[in-house]
Amino acid sequence: MLKLTHYEQDMLNGKMGKFKQKAMMFIVDYAKVLGATELCEVSRATLFVGAQHYLDCYDKDSDYKDIFSEFYLSSDEKVTLGKVSSECKTQTCAACCDITEYKRTHLSKEFHDRNREYLENTKEMGVKIVESCTPYYVGWVPMMGEHFVTTESSNVVISNTIFGACGNSDGVEVAVCASITGRIPKWGMHIPENRLATCVFELDFDVSTQMEWDLLGFTLGRLLPKHEVPVIVNGVKNVEINRMRQLCASISVTSAAEICHIVGYTPEAKTLEMALGGKEPKYKIKVTKNDMKDSLNMISDNGCGPVDYVSIGCPHISLDEIFEISEYIKGKHLPKGVELQIWTDYATKQMAILNGYAKNIEDTGAALLTGSCPIVMREESHKHAKAMVMFGSKQAFGIRHQTDVPVYYGEVERCIDAAFSGKWEEM
Amino acid sequence: MSQFKIHGRGVYKGNSEGEAVVCPDSIAGNSGALGDVDGVIYEKGNVNYGVCIKDKILVVPCAKGSNGFSAHFRGAQIAGITPAGWISTRMDARLGVAVASMKIPAVADFSESENPLDLIKTGDWVKINGESGEVIVTPKELL
Repeated sequence: MLKLTHYEQDMLNGKMGKFKQKAMMFIVDYAKVLGATELCEVSRATLFVGAQHYLDCYDKDSDYKDIFSEFYLSSDEKVTLGKVSSECKTQTCAACCDITEYKRTHLSKEFHDRNREYLENTKEMGVKIVESCTPYYVGWVPMMGEHFVTTESSNVVISNTIFGACGNSDGVEVAVCASITGRIPKWGMHIPENRLATCVFELDFDVSTQMEWDLLGFTLGRLLPKHEVPVIVNGVKNVEINRMRQLCASISVTSAAEICHIVGYTPEAKTLEMALGGKEPKYKIKVTKNDMKDSLNMISDNGCGPVDYVSIGCPHISLDEIFEISEYIKGKHLPKGVELQIWTDYATKQMAILNGYAKNIEDTGAALLTGSCPIVMREESHKHAKAMVMFGSKQAFGIRHQTDVPVYYGEVERCIDAAFSGKWEEM
Repeated sequence: MSQFKIHGRGVYKGNSEGEAVVCPDSIAGNSGALGDVDGVIYEKGNVNYGVCIKDKILVVPCAKGSNGFSAHFRGAQIAGITPAGWISTRMDARLGVAVASMKIPAVADFSESENPLDLIKTGDWVKINGESGEVIVTPKELL
């Protein structure tokens, strides 16, 4: 039975206006579906809003206020839009297109303008335009024990795992309503005992490079029994946030994992005993090189061949990586007909411009882009491609739902080499 | 082979029935894995690739993939493509949002001895009661 505080009940009864009432009605419905018994205060949110393609069910000239009421508030009645909770720091998540560079990504001005119009509407509500799936690079960092919502699956795993903050992989509609009400069901990762590891992964190999970390996440997600919480006990080298980002993104592709402890590196897993809460694990799984090889075969086409569409930056990359790429490609020139897209967030791009990295990249013919990615931009942006190269596996695997052309995947430098040679070479 | 009943937790009220589409590895929530307007499963590797979810009882172990999971199902619903109901071995956050947003009958949280993925086959006719949690399965061989 769900118990609400007086404040929450007042909001549900409409004392704080219809906008908050509708949002709280949805939060309460969601809590009942989950079987939650109470709500908790949520203080950080990222929202996958704008003219996203899940809104393709609406006519292009639909009023955004109508869309918002029906889609996000689950309301048959049109509601005047209000503000998100002053207690919940809220910003946009990944976007459906770059904030300005729609032409370079083969999208129409009409689509770009509609996205801006929708974003201006949410900005009025207090949702900051940030356009990032890696918001922790630019200051969205929840503290240990802080309750958050995010519409980016990799950010759920990062924030639970590295920051020790608490959040579930809810979904867009609830994230919006949570940011409006400042409440989310206290369920799942919001409850300490649900965060304890139940499945121990032991690796019979080491992961060191970014691709190896990325591939490991994909592999663990495949092997993780449904509904279990993973902990890795060995084998991770060069531990740092950019590699963790890849692991956390790819484990979310192949599983519903919301946290992935690593013994000795993540705050709730200083020891294996701590990660397990002193209990015996339900599963102990040995991960082999062959498991990694199987994953690679699922993500990347075999063989070699010409390529014309290369995308790096899934999830959005850091300034450090932009620097490394800029140094690697400085002075080179892309062959005619080949695109190289490098995806980051808007704020990081400004720092890349300040440091000259953006110029080094752009002078080669490559594009330093912000906020989106080929998957989220959808088919219109990449339907002309004859063969693709993608990093990481979330992009390389996910784009297959949208295309039948070959998709190759490998280490970042190998992907970049493919762009400059126009060819995916065999190892 | 005869008609049988299993019980889970009634998650979203309402009675419905339809042909079961069993997805042992769920349906990915990533953009493009479910057609936003036509409700067709385009997830490469999904055993139900090419199947439209309209009027089907979707049987899954959980949700997976992007946190956009619910939004793609909700978008398809607004476009007129709605499944008849959900059956899930266990409830999780992604699926919970989809259920709350779509407001269609759903049953979840089955006991280990009544895992719907072991007992229900694609093509079976399934009736669900989203309040009591009762699920009545008529195997396709009897249809």
